[in-house]
Amino acid sequence: MVEIKQISVKKKAYVVNDELAENIRNKMKTKNKRFFNVMGSIGSGKTLILERIAERLSPYYKVFVINGDVATTIDADRIAKCGATTVQINTGGGCHLTASLMQKEFDKINIDDYDIFFTENVGNLICPAAWDVGAAKNIVVVSITEGEYVIKKHPIIFKGAQIAVINKCDIEGEDFDSKTLVEDASKIKSDMEVICTSAKTKQGIDDLITALGIDIPKRE
Amino acid sequence: MHEYSLASAIVTQIEEIVEKYNVIRVKKIIVSASPYEMIIPDLLQEAYKIITHEMEKFKDSELLMEIKAAEITCIDCDYTGKPTEEGDPEFAYNFLCPKCGSRDTHINMKQMTIETVDLELSEE
Ligand SMILES: Nc1nc2c(ncn2[C@@H]2O[C@H](COP(=O)(O)OP(=O)(O)O)[C@@H](O)[C@H]2O)c(=O)[nH]1
Ligand SMILES: [Mg+2]
Ligand SMILES: [Zn+2]
Repeated sequence: MVEIKQISVKKKAYVVNDELAENIRNKMKTKNKRFFNVMGSIGSGKTLILERIAERLSPYYKVFVINGDVATTIDADRIAKCGATTVQINTGGGCHLTASLMQKEFDKINIDDYDIFFTENVGNLICPAAWDVGAAKNIVVVSITEGEYVIKKHPIIFKGAQIAVINKCDIEGEDFDSKTLVEDASKIKSDMEVICTSAKTKQGIDDLITALGIDIPKRE
Repeated sequence: MHEYSLASAIVTQIEEIVEKYNVIRVKKIIVSASPYEMIIPDLLQEAYKIITHEMEKFKDSELLMEIKAAEITCIDCDYTGKPTEEGDPEFAYNFLCPKCGSRDTHINMKQMTIETVDLELSEE
């Protein structure tokens, strides 16, 4: 005899990821470590910004960066040259990182060996928004070459972020304008910190570091 | 393709339930989500099929998605619940708080819930 039984589950599909993410966040907090999630489109300048941050912080802090890309170790290699310890995750077809991917990398190292952790999420303005990786702050990088309506077109990822970085401000001019992006980023969330940077000239990098709550001596 | 991650999160949770019962086969899983979660039902089902393809107890099972009301939280007054229908003419996904009229609201993008699962049980 067989019997069909309907079971009421009533559980959130994201619960497994979210619980693990919360766990990571709490553990980092207890250990007094900082962990930041850097998201943004392909080519917005996430890696170059992380290179700038790594070279700026590494005299004072031990920095660990987890890079997520569909393929290659190019980004992790680039940031490693700037004084951080890096590891590359290749997601294959995966369009976002998850808390369990983070946990796997944290399990391989001794957290106490480092002070500040970053992850460069897969270049994508859609999927990473729904997958909490356990960071204390989410940062979205947009560059002024992505068009002035990129924030309006992808509101969700900005809603979930604490810091919006408007990058490539060095090429601001007739063709590229940061004004609308800055306005939209501040309008979409009242408590958003909006920072204009040029990873090329290093403009705004120290402001970004300050917004992350990291203390560093002033540049000479 | 976050549908793939979602489908595998669903399968993981159903597997936990399967272990608790004397299950011959999973017949049907019903999940619910709001229309604003950026989930494409066809892709979710496609991913579910790929993941369960070689899982004996999931053979011929189906995953159905029902649409439920969206939920917002208001940053100004802490209201949580259904938004006012009227969207923001300027920002998509920016809903109006029915309690205080603020647009400073956050839409819950992670409402997807596993509602029920139909299991074929062996009676011994
Ligand atoms: N002019 C200019 N180019 C930049 C800036 N930031 C990044 N780039 C360039 O944009 C391209 C993509 O940068 P990358 O950091 O690899 O972007 P990612 O895909 O977001 O990691 C590279 O050629 C960078 O040199 C910037 O602030 N100004
Ligand atoms: Mg990169
Ligand atoms: Zn309100």
